[in-house]
Amino acid sequence: MTFENNSEQNGKEVAGEGSTSGVGGATASGSELGGGGAANTGVGDATQESPSRRETMALAIGVAAWLVPGLGHALLKMWGRAAACFLTVGVLVVLGAGMRGNIFSSGGGDAFDTLGYVADLGAGGFYFVARSIEKFGADVSHANGDYGTRFLATAGILNLLAALHAFEAARGHKA
Amino acid sequence: MRLKRREGIRRDRGMIDTSGIRLSHFQGMLIFAVVISVAFGFLSRRRPVDRVRYIVWSLFLFLVIGIGIGWVMYPFSR
Repeated sequence: MTFENNSEQNGKEVAGEGSTSGVGGATASGSELGGGGAANTGVGDATQESPSRRETMALAIGVAAWLVPGLGHALLKMWGRAAACFLTVGVLVVLGAGMRGNIFSSGGGDAFDTLGYVADLGAGGFYFVARSIEKFGADVSHANGDYGTRFLATAGILNLLAALHAFEAARGHKA
Repeated sequence: MRLKRREGIRRDRGMIDTSGIRLSHFQGMLIFAVVISVAFGFLSRRRPVDRVRYIVWSLFLFLVIGIGIGWVMYPFSR
């Protein structure tokens, strides 16, 4: 899967999806938002704020995106992406926990448990949602439990990818 | 009706059925493919038309490749 930087190619962007229009908006693509009135309406105007401040804001957005799936994009006023991240990660977590997938914890014995824990923790706050849903513990004796484990890990990795995307968008590098 | 009665018997014996959501292999693959295609489509494309095109194409490839790998592995499954 390749992610391309369409902001440099498509002069006419979608209204309401101002990629870098929110917190820490960038100068790179602010002018490319065709009719995007929200181009510089965020917390910080990119043309005036210092690079270090923008980096700090981008980092905060990345952490917010990790903690609550979709929050980073919502802060950047990318509503479609925010909704998509929230829903896709949410569906995977609910299904994974509902199928009684394995939710790894920090006390894992081997490297695979640790890797699984890191992947699960990528879902941010949804990690604890999954733990609360799965009251009877994991059951990987059936294929469904095994699929659930993969769903949970995928939710975490997908959320990390979305958080990285939000971080890069806030820096103005990618949208 | 019969299923409900069986569940009741299990519950009486303390064997509460907690198997959770049950999906077939194909349903699991289909849901996974749809969710991932939608997420990638929204993250990697900006125009709605491009997103729809990407989602449909990605979903198609997920299913074709998944079923294809299933068929390739079939002779070794027993």
